[in-house]
Amino acid sequence: MSANNEPNIVAFLCNWCSYAGADLAGTSRMQYPSNINVIRVMCTGRVNPLYVVNALQQGADGVLVSGCHPGDCHYMEGNYFARRRLGMLKDLLEYVGVDPRRFHMSWVSASEGHKWKEVVEKTVEDAREAGPFEGFRRRQIDW
Amino acid sequence: MSAMLLNKEKWPDFVEKLAGKTIWAPQGEEAEMRFAPVTEGEAPALEYGNTRVPPKQAVFPQTETMFRFQLGGEELEIPKLEEEAVLLGVRPCDARSMAIVDNLFSWDENDPYYFKHRELLTLVGLTCTEPGLNCFCTSVGGGPASKEGLDLLMTDLGDQYLLEAITEKGEALLKAAGEVLEDAGDEQIKEKERLTEEAAANIKRNVNPDGIPEGLPGLWEDPLWQRVSASCLGCGTCTYLCPTCHCFDIQDEVEGFSARRCRTWDSCMFNEYTMHTSGHNPRPSRRERTRNRINHKYSYYVDKFDVIACVGCGRCINLCPVNIDIVDILRQVKEAL
Amino acid sequence: MDLDKLRETAAEVAARDDVKYLIGWEKGSYGYRVAPAFAEDADGTADMIFSPLCTANLATYLTLVEKLPLPRGQEPDNRKVALMVKGCDSRAVAQLLVEKGIHRDEVVVIGCPCPGMVDPALLSEKYPETEEIAELKWSDDGFIIVRNGEETAVPREELLAEKCRLCRYPNPVVSDIMLDEPVESWEPAEDEEVTEIEGKEVEGRWDYWQQEFSNCIRCYSCRNVCPLCYCQDCILDRINPSWVFRSVNFSENTAFNIARAFHLAGRCIECGECERVCPANIPLGKINRKLAREVRDKYGFEPGLDPESEPFQASYKPDDPEDFIL
Repeated sequence: MSANNEPNIVAFLCNWCSYAGADLAGTSRMQYPSNINVIRVMCTGRVNPLYVVNALQQGADGVLVSGCHPGDCHYMEGNYFARRRLGMLKDLLEYVGVDPRRFHMSWVSASEGHKWKEVVEKTVEDAREAGPFEGFRRRQIDW
Repeated sequence: MSAMLLNKEKWPDFVEKLAGKTIWAPQGEEAEMRFAPVTEGEAPALEYGNTRVPPKQAVFPQTETMFRFQLGGEELEIPKLEEEAVLLGVRPCDARSMAIVDNLFSWDENDPYYFKHRELLTLVGLTCTEPGLNCFCTSVGGGPASKEGLDLLMTDLGDQYLLEAITEKGEALLKAAGEVLEDAGDEQIKEKERLTEEAAANIKRNVNPDGIPEGLPGLWEDPLWQRVSASCLGCGTCTYLCPTCHCFDIQDEVEGFSARRCRTWDSCMFNEYTMHTSGHNPRPSRRERTRNRINHKYSYYVDKFDVIACVGCGRCINLCPVNIDIVDILRQVKEAL
Repeated sequence: MDLDKLRETAAEVAARDDVKYLIGWEKGSYGYRVAPAFAEDADGTADMIFSPLCTANLATYLTLVEKLPLPRGQEPDNRKVALMVKGCDSRAVAQLLVEKGIHRDEVVVIGCPCPGMVDPALLSEKYPETEEIAELKWSDDGFIIVRNGEETAVPREELLAEKCRLCRYPNPVVSDIMLDEPVESWEPAEDEEVTEIEGKEVEGRWDYWQQEFSNCIRCYSCRNVCPLCYCQDCILDRINPSWVFRSVNFSENTAFNIARAFHLAGRCIECGECERVCPANIPLGKINRKLAREVRDKYGFEPGLDPESEPFQASYKPDDPEDFIL
């Protein structure tokens, strides 16, 4: 969490849908929280669960992974794999005591600028409620 | 050097006299007991067999920051170690391991990190009166009341502890404790000797290492290595929990623009330990790695420093998941000689 | 189990021309220890046993053996490896077949129907280990400890390992030779340990696991013993990129344990080896079983049953649950 007490969110967006969706939200001049740090990936299917863990370790208060709607994947089935994998990751993180509000996944298509705005608002709001995530930070401990 | 008596009722007072120093003592449940700095004010209890994880942590931390730096910066920040520490109730075998490892870390150049920890540390030993199932310290030059490496030796005599100073540091501790202590007589020392002998007699496992250091090089290609390593899982338990194992790996850890260079424990039982950049591995299988472990402890170290790098604490035997038993291996080595 | 029959079968298999060696169990060097045994010929099988102490999962060795470069002109020894399996071990074999970690014609599987193993830690806590080699046997309603010629009968409930309490597949699911009649499966117990942690508040769970993970010494025994952790180049050993640093602290230990558990999601066959070998006594089974439970309940999938099935994380169903998606 930064000095002004704003949550720090890392978002992994797929190149074909969600990134374009976020772009649309921008070009449509929609207002949404600027706490999102976007990392563009070619497909949600290539989001290694360790990306999420690593982001949390390096100071993210929340992580968002967003991709194409099921059936719309540019690579046919990447998002189906991601759904299974990250669904398991969400359960696991919750089980080891990471607040479930810190990790979200969403489907946002290239035409859903408005949905993107809502997703970001929800993610930021949740991370804000969950508070700064210091317990897991690398440099917090004997660095 | 002097011998004193400490009434067990005054144990907390004695511990109080150590104020200002970090006190390392065995903590935790029986099965997970390990040495760690005491946080709460209570005097630590010393009724225990031996810890699973050896106290080498106190002088050779599993992760040691060597220095910190900024990427693109020019300054190195070297952590300062200033706080004195006391290792309370360490077993003579573990203390002896430090005396053995000192040889290595002072071989050509003194390792500043290791010796800084060592300088600041006072080792208060506790005579072993109930040896464990797999203890074999008497076979490798140690004993239940071995004084090597210790500054002060305590012996549990029932209602009181007998405290014997061994070094200047130990003497200073006794002096600091002052009025808490009473003078000890010959009687107590005799009682301690009796307890020690009794404990030594209770050590069931033994191996005579005579001839092993000279003989091991000749067994380089012996089929025994294949036999004893077949079931090895290549996990690092035996080396991580060995009080004399001292291998480390140095890595730079970078986060953002800050970084640190740190050293962490490493194990010769791992594949990557000897892996070259080219992909060639001079110890390509578990056979070579197991052979190296035994050779290192019982042959190379003896060549170099004239002491066996094994203190007979039995941890590797206790905790090997597939019952690879160093005493058994040594027995086979002797047979093959 | 009839030990004579076991040794006879083992000797037969080990003597086969197409078998390189046979992996079984034999008595260890002291106390309750049992060690994996490797027999290259019939002679090596003379001391093999199958007892309630044979907890070690031998399927690990299928992928553990190094394939060393051979001198020019020398042919690799491609004969089969024979191994004895319990119910859980056979699931590891099945899962390896699913993942094509091994091929069916590379192994000879000797099935040992398993009435349940003892918990070695519990056993030596209640009946302290001595240097005498002790034996354990199954009786109709429990175990019999044989020490120094004396027999002690112990009720099954007292010493049964947790993983066996929860076991649903005591009989091997893959085998070429069965050593005995299948045992009658028992009603698996409720996994209360996992339910208990699930029931905690988020902070409580974090504190619980921090307590456990802070004991981790990162010896990687859990990974090395796991029959399904067989990557040649493990992500945890990689330096560039270094996903998990080698330093030992809360953060890295947690990341390591998450990574380890996650890589076994939908693959773990609950043999409990990781938990058994952990020198820091971390209850790794509680994480693995939680993931197995999720996989079973949410996705209706159980690993290591059908060698023909698809690997869980490399497959999908269009109607997989997605209630967690915004």
